[in-house]
Parts: sequence; structure tokens; C-alpha cells
Amino acid sequence: MVEFSHVTKTYKKRKSAVNDFSLKVDVPIFGFLGQNGAGKTTIMKMTVGLLAPTSGSILVDGIPSTDTVSKKKMGFMPETPYFHERMTGMEFLTFADELFEKTSDKKAHYEKLLTSVGLRDARNFEIRTYSKGMRQRLAFAQALVNDPQYVFLDEPLDGLDPLGRREMKEVMLGLKKEGKKIFLNTHILYDVEEMCDEVGIIHAGNLLYAGTVKGFAHGTSLEEAFTNMLMEHEGKKAANHHGREHAVSHA
Amino acid sequence: MRNIWVVAKNTFKLEVREKILYAIIVFAVLYMLSSLFLADLVLKELPMVKSFALAGTYFFNAILALFLGTTSFFKDVDRKVVYFVLSKPVTRAQFLLGKFLGLCLVLLATTAIFMVAYLGVIGYEGGGFDVMGIVAIALQYVEMVLFIAFATFVSTFSTSLLSIVYTSAVFFAGHIVSALVADAQAIHITGLKYRLVQALYYIFPNLEKFDIRDFAVHAIALPASTFVLAVAYAAVYATLLLVAGIWIFNHKEI
Repeated sequence: MVEFSHVTKTYKKRKSAVNDFSLKVDVPIFGFLGQNGAGKTTIMKMTVGLLAPTSGSILVDGIPSTDTVSKKKMGFMPETPYFHERMTGMEFLTFADELFEKTSDKKAHYEKLLTSVGLRDARNFEIRTYSKGMRQRLAFAQALVNDPQYVFLDEPLDGLDPLGRREMKEVMLGLKKEGKKIFLNTHILYDVEEMCDEVGIIHAGNLLYAGTVKGFAHGTSLEEAFTNMLMEHEGKKAANHHGREHAVSHA
Repeated sequence: MRNIWVVAKNTFKLEVREKILYAIIVFAVLYMLSSLFLADLVLKELPMVKSFALAGTYFFNAILALFLGTTSFFKDVDRKVVYFVLSKPVTRAQFLLGKFLGLCLVLLATTAIFMVAYLGVIGYEGGGFDVMGIVAIALQYVEMVLFIAFATFVSTFSTSLLSIVYTSAVFFAGHIVSALVADAQAIHITGLKYRLVQALYYIFPNLEKFDIRDFAVHAIALPASTFVLAVAYAAVYATLLLVAGIWIFNHKEI
């Protein structure tokens, strides 16, 4: 289980990115849904130890997510991945795996992984020759190289063609069958509706909803429910702001 | 320690694939070979040839150290390649030290190539196996390690271009501070001005400690203590720079 407890993140040069975020997640596929800049990536980066929360804690199976024990259980695919361009796909995967202190020769494992993401034929090409979609696939493969229990994917389907999206989704569903837990950051509602068991709606660093997709949509489309929620939230914020200004002017 | 080695190995593998590295090595070797023509010009005077060749090994290694030190670490952080590494059981300190070690290994390889070229040229000119030349090049390498440590430190808070400016400035300052102190003493500068010169002497690395070209050129034996002290000085200075770099990198939002 991944447990976020009163997590707040304030960047040095910006206002607060995540506000008092608390959530427990223990479902096969959990989707973080929100607009660009809502705070999804910040939450994911804090979870995998790339950023330190300003306050609060993130636990993976009861252990801080930045602990080595937790990190060994996790795989992470960043949004818009960048690589060492002169490495081949196979070399990059080997490098990623070596950071997990496993020494046995796992060439067969790498080949299987690269095959599952459709990169087997390109495994010995330099990454600089890869298309955007191929880079996404390689980033996905490296997130799985340590056979993680928890997989964090930040916009994993961006840049993929329809066939590629289908293949990636099949891999994710395969992982679900194996009992892995997947965290998916996306702003594509259709992907959430199709893939996720539960969803967390994030807006301006605040968690507005966490629960099942059906429970959120209440019979309407996810898109309609999502936009209604955001508009309602913005409306409340504006009303509060207006109310405060009104009170000040009266005072 | 294992993760440092994995990052170092990967850094080495990546940097030796940089085409610019080979361009510099080719230029350096051609420069060394040109010493043979110089030898004819200076009537086979071996000290001149040695001086010319050692200046070459120093110059080209300095260019390489500047290029590698100011770009490798910065690129990985700036282009977010570091996300892949730091999301795994690798600390920021391990990553930084791994990059540093990897770059030192690249420079060790190029220094070895330059050394072979140097020994070849000196041997051809009848200088035999130039042990002092080897010691001089070894100390040049130690200086370059310090140079890389400084460039890596600066890269933790600065852009690649600014790192080049800072590192070059420190490089030049490091070569003139000891002369500055000597000059200040010679012309009897005292008081605040002298303290300022002294402060500069202690702040900037004293890179003249690593320059033993005169010993090599004239085949004068170098006291072992001079060599050991220079290496110890570089080790302490580089350690301080790396510790400071790790502290900054640990507090950096990536």
C-alpha cells in the first residue's frame, strides 16, 4: 500500500504545488487525473524520491518511499524521458538494472522486456536514432527492469501511435494480472476510464476526489463529471475570494 | 560504493563515445609528433623537445578536463537523465561521485595515450626512457583531477557555459597565486593588501604545486615528499570541493 499523509510541497521559486495531500492507495491501477500543472508529476516525483516533500510523509508498505528498501520495490517512468543518446536500448536497460545490485547475467530478461514493449529489433541501435514513441517504450521498459511491485508511470502513453498505445495498455494489464500496483499520471480521460480501478482528481495541488471511476462519474461521462468538478471548485474559490473582498470593503 | 562504480563505468562508456574526444586526442598526438620537427630546428636539443611535448600533454589534457568536467554532470541533470538514476536506489552523492570518478577514468585513459606518445617522441630523439617525464605527466593528471572536481562542483549550481568561465578563471588564478604572494613579499607589500593576497593564495588551489616540468626537462630528480605532498594537497582540495558539491546537489530541486 502507498500512503500519503499530509504531504505538502512548496517550490523555492513558486507557490505551493501540493497542499496537504493525504491518500491511501491499494488498488491494481490507480490514476492521477488532473490538468497540466495540477501537481500530478510533483506527487509522483516525491514518491520516487526525486523531490523531498516540504512536509508530510509518503510510505510504501509502511516504509518511507525514499528508503532503499522501498526504492527496490518501485519502478518509475518520467514524463518526456531523456536518455544518454549514444547508448543502445539494451545498454541503457543493463545500466538501469545494474543500479539494483543484481549481478547475474539477465540478457534474456532484458530481451523479454524489450520484446514486450516492441523494441526487440531496435535493441542494439543507439537511442539517438529512436523516435519519440520508441523512447517512451524504452522508458517504460526500464521502469520494469527490476520487476517492481509498484510501477509509477508519468504520462506513459504520450507520443505513442494508436498501435503503440494499445500495446502499452496490454503490458499494463499484464502487470495488473501479475499482481503489480500501477500508478498512472494522465490528463487523458479515456485512458483513466478504460484502465483504472480507482482515480484521484487533482486540481491546483488539492485532491478533490479519490475513489472509483463509476462513483465519480455517477452515470455521466467522465469528461462531464471532471469538468463539472473543476468548474464547481473554481466557482467556490471565486465565491470565497469575492466574499473576503466584500467583507474587507465593509470593514 | 557499488553504485558509484556503476555510474562511473557508464560515464566512462558514454564519454569515450564523444567524437570531440577523438578530435582532441588526434590533435594532441599530432602535436607530439611535431616535436620531432622541432627537434631538428633546435639542433636536437632534448630539453627543448621535452618542454614542448610536456606543454602539449598539459594543454590538451586541460582542454579535455574543462570540456568533460563542465558538461557531463550538468547535461545529465539539465536534460533530466538523472531521473532514471535517482529514482533507483542511488543517492545523489553516489551519482555525483560516480560521474566524477568516470570522468577521472576517461582522463586517465587519455593521459596514458599522451604519455605513450611522449615517451615515443623522447625515445626516438635519444632521450631513453624518461622517468621524470612520466612523473611530470602523472602530476599533470593529478592537477586535472582537481580541475574536474572543481568543474563538477561548479556544475551543481551553474550552467555549462558559466562553469567553463568559472573553472577557467580558477585555473588561471591557481597558476598565479603563488607568484602573487612571492611578488608581494619581494616588493614588501604589507597590511591589508598583503592579507588580501594571502587570502587569495589560500582560497584558490595552488596549481603550481603540480608543475614540475623544469625537473623533467633538465632530468633533475624530484624529492618524493614533493610528489606526495602535491598528491595529498589535491586529494584534500578535491574532497572539499566534492563534499560542497554534494551538499548543494542534495538541496537542489531537479
